[in-house]
Amino acid sequence: MSASSTIELAFAEVADWNLFDANARVGRSGMQGVLALESGELLLEMDRFGIRRAMVSHFAAEEYDAQRGNDLLGQAIESADRLFPLWAAIPDAGFIESLERRRPRAVRLSYGAKKHNFSPALWCSGALHDYLQQNSILAVVAKEDIEWESLARLLENFPRLDLLLLDAGYRADRYLFPLLQRFAHLYFDSSTYLAHRQLETFVNRFGPDRLVFGSRLPLYTPGAAVAVLVTARIREEAKRAIAGRTLARLLSVESESR
Amino acid sequence: MKPPLPICDCHGHFGVHPDFPAYAQTAEDLVAVMDLLGIELLAVTSTLACYSDCPRGNAEVAALLEKYPTRFRGYVTVNPNPPGEALAELQRWKRFHTPPLIKLHPDLHHYPVDGPHYRPVWEHANQTRAVVLVHTWESDPNCGPLLLAPVARQFPQARIILGHSGVTWRGYEQAVEAAQAASNLFLDISGSQSHRTVIEWMTERLGADRVLFGSDLPYLEAATSLGRVLAARLAQAEKEKILRTNFLCLLEEFGVPSARSGSATEAR
Repeated sequence: MSASSTIELAFAEVADWNLFDANARVGRSGMQGVLALESGELLLEMDRFGIRRAMVSHFAAEEYDAQRGNDLLGQAIESADRLFPLWAAIPDAGFIESLERRRPRAVRLSYGAKKHNFSPALWCSGALHDYLQQNSILAVVAKEDIEWESLARLLENFPRLDLLLLDAGYRADRYLFPLLQRFAHLYFDSSTYLAHRQLETFVNRFGPDRLVFGSRLPLYTPGAAVAVLVTARIREEAKRAIAGRTLARLLSVESESR
Repeated sequence: MKPPLPICDCHGHFGVHPDFPAYAQTAEDLVAVMDLLGIELLAVTSTLACYSDCPRGNAEVAALLEKYPTRFRGYVTVNPNPPGEALAELQRWKRFHTPPLIKLHPDLHHYPVDGPHYRPVWEHANQTRAVVLVHTWESDPNCGPLLLAPVARQFPQARIILGHSGVTWRGYEQAVEAAQAASNLFLDISGSQSHRTVIEWMTERLGADRVLFGSDLPYLEAATSLGRVLAARLAQAEKEKILRTNFLCLLEEFGVPSARSGSATEAR
């Protein structure tokens, strides 16, 4: 059996799940130069794992400048309709107006001190969060960019804001579970949710609708997150919800069939 | 999803975790996931021993080996402190395997892997041609991968596995650099960071003979490591070495009884 046929067999199960990756980035990176991929290369890598679509932010928007990164993201997705834009957002004066022109359905908030360096608190980001909530725009935040207490306060202040937490990690359940119980609009991605029987335990306790598939492409291989989903001992309907249905709903796009 | 051949897994644990809930960690839980994923053999270290109590932890591994002798191999986990206890534990459990399997966790035991209190352990490992699994983490003062290169050269008969290969991308670079300096160093792929292309990269640098499949069960889902290997752009023969043959060679076991489905029948 060839290596390629082994991969095809191993990952064939996801071919008709319409995998929609919630955690991907595109473009050149100063910090991740070895692994970063331009959109064409990213699409080829997605194809290897049956990933139909991916919500992508641009490395330049995180590492350099939100506005410039958004411009580059616009160019990157121009001829790649399988890439769904995750625009960067910051609380600077006039930024919401520039963001509106892009008609965003999801924005990435990089509060971290080494990223866009702003507070998620009301006194700093209240207007931005209010805009997102009022317009049903999905807020996407990486765990490394927010403390648990700040996340809880944000969700208390904006109870109708859909918030997707990326890279929560496999050690997070003692924080994550109480927050999920308390805040119905909190979601998280599967890319680092990789402890033994963790996904099954979560689905049995909370159902499949709060967890969305994520790979961390191009930094991580989707092989890990796809394999965990494929081998999870849960119903196929639950796998399909995680694979893409929930993210499609959050973004108000069709959960398309191939 | 099944691998193309039965897997031999060099890195597992037995016990619960302090910092997040353990959802399935009994011997039967481990056997169930091993059967599901085609893992024929899993080498485990006691998590209790890694954290706080080597004698009790190693006794738990002894009971596991007694119950499932064909499915598990057991590392004797030793702490360099208090001095003298490590050799006593290695003597106490020498019936586990020949050559012995030894686990060191210099991070949790707060002691540098090249420090003098570890020296009797390394001398023992050298004399017995032991397989020594060492937890490693990028640039860590107690367990950075580069600390192991001089240790490996000083004790050339010991076969040393760099657990997690330093974990991060930079940690992998350090692990490969160390392994290039000492031919008795081997790299374990287990870990929570599933960097794209890193398995291909380390195989290219070292050859497939020195890369080992590890899952870190029941911390991590074994499908994580399995998916990484199956997805890697490697030849089938290289994957077979990583998934199975290399660890069997280290164990000096060239034939392992086939795993029996349901394995409860094996329990004594």
